[in-house]
Amino acid sequence: MDRRKFLKQSSLASSLFFVPSFVKAFEQVAQSQLGYKRLVIIQLSGGNDGLNTVIPYQNDLYYKARPSLGIKKSEVLKLNDEVGLHKSLKPLKHLYNNGNLCVINNVGYPNPIRSHFRSMDIWQTATDSDKYSQSGWLGRYLDQYGKHPYSAIEINDSLSLAMKGEQMNAIATQDAKTLYNLSKDPYFKNVIKHQDDAHLSEHNLGYLYKSMISAESSAKYIYETSKTFSSKTDYPQNYFAKQLKTTAQFINSGLDTKVFYSALGGFDTHVNQLGAQNRLLNIYAESIEAFVNDLKTNNTFNDTLILTFSEFGRRVKQNANVGTDHGTSNNVFIIGGQLKKQGLYNDMASLSDLDTNGDLKFEIDFRTIYATVLNKWLDVNDEKVLNRSFNQLGFI
Amino acid sequence: MKSNHIQHLYWRVGFGILPNELEKFSKKSKKKIVDGIIETSQKVTPLKVDTAELDELLSGSYEKTKENIKKFQKLSREKTKELNIAWIDRLANSNQILREKMTLFWANHFVCEDNNYVYTQNFHNRLREHALGNFKDFVKAISKEAAMTKYLNTKQNKKQKPNENFARELMELFTLGVGNYTENDIKESAKAFTGYSHNLKGEFVFKKRVHDETDKIFFGKTGNFDGDDIVDLILEKRECATFICTKIYSYFVNDTINEQHVNEMANVFYKDYNIENLMRYMMLADWFYDDENMGTKIKSPIELLVGLKTVVPVDFKSSKQLFNLQKLLGQVLLNPPNVAGWKGGRSWIDSNTITLRLKLPSIILNNAYISKVKAGKTDESILKSKQAFKKKYGQRFKTETNWAVFDTHFNDVAITDLDKYLLACTISNQASTYLNSLSKVSKQEYCIQLMSLPEYQMC
Repeated sequence: MDRRKFLKQSSLASSLFFVPSFVKAFEQVAQSQLGYKRLVIIQLSGGNDGLNTVIPYQNDLYYKARPSLGIKKSEVLKLNDEVGLHKSLKPLKHLYNNGNLCVINNVGYPNPIRSHFRSMDIWQTATDSDKYSQSGWLGRYLDQYGKHPYSAIEINDSLSLAMKGEQMNAIATQDAKTLYNLSKDPYFKNVIKHQDDAHLSEHNLGYLYKSMISAESSAKYIYETSKTFSSKTDYPQNYFAKQLKTTAQFINSGLDTKVFYSALGGFDTHVNQLGAQNRLLNIYAESIEAFVNDLKTNNTFNDTLILTFSEFGRRVKQNANVGTDHGTSNNVFIIGGQLKKQGLYNDMASLSDLDTNGDLKFEIDFRTIYATVLNKWLDVNDEKVLNRSFNQLGFI
Repeated sequence: MKSNHIQHLYWRVGFGILPNELEKFSKKSKKKIVDGIIETSQKVTPLKVDTAELDELLSGSYEKTKENIKKFQKLSREKTKELNIAWIDRLANSNQILREKMTLFWANHFVCEDNNYVYTQNFHNRLREHALGNFKDFVKAISKEAAMTKYLNTKQNKKQKPNENFARELMELFTLGVGNYTENDIKESAKAFTGYSHNLKGEFVFKKRVHDETDKIFFGKTGNFDGDDIVDLILEKRECATFICTKIYSYFVNDTINEQHVNEMANVFYKDYNIENLMRYMMLADWFYDDENMGTKIKSPIELLVGLKTVVPVDFKSSKQLFNLQKLLGQVLLNPPNVAGWKGGRSWIDSNTITLRLKLPSIILNNAYISKVKAGKTDESILKSKQAFKKKYGQRFKTETNWAVFDTHFNDVAITDLDKYLLACTISNQASTYLNSLSKVSKQEYCIQLMSLPEYQMC
C-alpha cells in the first residue's frame, strides 16, 4: 500500500473510533437474542486430507491410490451408497442425520497454490491466487458493516489475516478477564485520551495508539458482558474445545458480535498420517458436538452458522511415508439449524480426471460460499466485501 | 557521529545503547563505529547447554537406545527450554551484537524446529556460525542439518517416492520467493535432494542408494544435479539477492520497502553473497539514517524484552514464567509458528499483545506500578501501592530487578533528558501534556512512565 493511500485509510479509521456509537456501545443492554445471526469460522490448519475425511468408499481408484492409507470400507461411517465419513466423525454423522450438516465437496479456486502460507492467505483474503491483499474478508466485512472492533472476535492469542481489515481490526482474545485487568490502568486511559486524527494516522506509532484505544474499550465490554453467563455443558479437555467453549460463552451471554474465529492445527500429515488425522478429527468432532449442544441448550443454535475449512486438500496418491503431500480442492462443512440444503451438497470429484500434478480438480470456488454466507446469513452486500460478484449457492 | 544516529544504529543491529557508551561513540566517525561493530562480531561463540545426560541415553546398544527414546524426548524438551532462556540471556549480554542480532534474524529465515535437542542445538549454532558469512555456503549447510532434513522431510525424500517439501520451501521461503519458479522446478529439484539424511549424532549422511541419479531439468538446464548444484543454480538468479535483501531491509530498516534502496543492497549482495559486506553497506548508507527510518519500527517481543533488560537488568526467578511471557507476547524463541516464521511488524500487535506490551515494563520492573502522582504533589502512598500491586501480579511474574545498575548508568543524565535515551521517537503532544501534568517522582518512576508509553514500543 502506498503511503498516501495508507494515510487516507487510517485517518478514516481514526474518525471511526470517535463516532458516538463506538463510545455508547458499552451502555447498551444486550440486544435481543432472537434473529441475531452469528457466524463461527473454524480453520483446520495444515491442509486436512479431505479424501480421508469424506470418503468415496466404493471407488476402487481411491484404494488403488492409497493402498495403506485408504480408510477401510468397514470403518467408514456411511452417509449413502458411495460416500462416508471418517470413523472419528461420529458426532458429525449425528448432525448429518438431524439435517444440521451440509458437506460441500471439491471446494477450491483457480490456479491452486500448494504452499500452506500462500493458500491460507488466499482463503483468508478471498483474492485470486495471483493477487495479494493486506486485508482479510472478515476484516473487510468489519470495515463495511462492523459497528465495533469486537463485532468480530478471534479466540486466539493473535489475530489472523482474515480478521484484519483495511481500517478496522477484529479483537483477538482467549481470556476476557485478563485482557480487561491489564488494560484498565488509568495511566493508559490518559495517554490514549484526546489523541487527534493526525497523530493516529502516523504510520506504525498511530497503529499502536489505535490498537490500544480499541483494546481498552472492547476488553471492558467483552469482560462485563460475557461474565454474566457460564456454561453448564461439558467440553473435552483440549485447546480447541476450550476455544469453542469461550465462543459459546460469548454467544450465550448475548455479546454483540457477529463473527467468531478459531483454529485447530496439525493437519500437515506428510508422514504417518493415519494416527495423526484420527486424533485431530476426533478432537474436532467431539469439540463440535459439545459446542452444538451448548448452543442448543441455550436456544442459540438456530441463529449460529458454523463453517469449517482447510487451506487445501491433499494429493490423491499417498506418498512413501504413509502420508500425503499438498494438494488442491477440499470439502467444506456447514453446520447449522436452518440449512436449506442438508447432507451432501454435490457429488465428490472424479478420481480419474486429475490435474497434471495428480490433484483433484476444483468445482466450487470458495468465494461463492463466502458470498452466500455474507449475503444470505449476515445479510450484507457481499460484493462490497469481496470486491467482486460471485454466484450464490443454495445451502442456506 | 550524531547521537541519535548511533542510537538508531544500535537499536537496529542490537538492542539499544546505554548513556556511557553513547557518550564514548559520539566522538567517533560513522565508519569507525560500523567497523567496530563488525570487528567485535568476527568471533563466533557457540551457545550450548550441558548435553552429557542426553549423550548418555544414546550411547548404548541399538536396543538400549530404543528403550531410552521416550526419556530422551522428554529431556530434549527441557533442554530446548534451557536453550531458550540461555539465548535471551546471550542477546542481553553479548558484545558480539551484530552476529547475535543476525542469528536471531536467520532463525526467522531458515525456520526450523526439532524434538531432538542435540539437533536443535547444532542447527542453532550453525546459524550463528554463518550469520555474517557467505550465503551460498549457508544455504548448503542448512540443507544438510539433521534438524532441517527432519523438519522439511528431506530425510523421507527418496528416488522411488520423492517428497517435495524441502525443495518447495527452499525456493519459496529461503531463497527466491513465490513466483520465481514453477511447480515443475519443485518436482525436478526435489529429485536432486534425494538421499539427504543423517546419523544418530546428527551428522550429515548422503544415502547414495536412494539418490536419484537421472537427469533433472531445472530452470531450463538439464543435468544430473545434486542438492548443492541446485543451490548454485538458484543463487545464479538475481531474484535471490533481491529476495534476501528485501527481507533484511524490512527487518533492519523499514517494513515499508523502498525498492531503490533494496536494489542498491542487491547489487552489493549479488556480487558474492557475502553477508558481512551487505550489512556494512546497509549500516553505512545515508538512507539508513533518514527520518522515515528512525524510530518507525515496531519492536519484536524479543527486542522489547531484551531492550528492557539492557536498561534495567532483570531476571526471572522462574524460567517457566519467562517462557510463558514469550508465549503471551507471541514470540517463543526456538518455537516458530510455522516454516514461514513470524511475520513481524504490525502483526505483533493485536488487542491482547498491545495491552500486555504497554503494561509489561511496570509488571516486571516495578511491581506493576505506574506512578500517577500529579505535578507538585508527593507520592506518600507509593510503597503501599507497590505492595498491593505486588500481591496482585507478583505471582505471575516473579522477577529480580537491579535498579542500582540503572542508577549508575543514568547518574549523569538529567531526569528531564531521560526520554531522549529511552525512546526512539518523539512523544505525541497529548501524551506529553499528560506526562507533564504528572510529578517526576524519581528517575526510576519516570523511566517506568516512559516505558509504559506506546512510543517505547518503537525502535
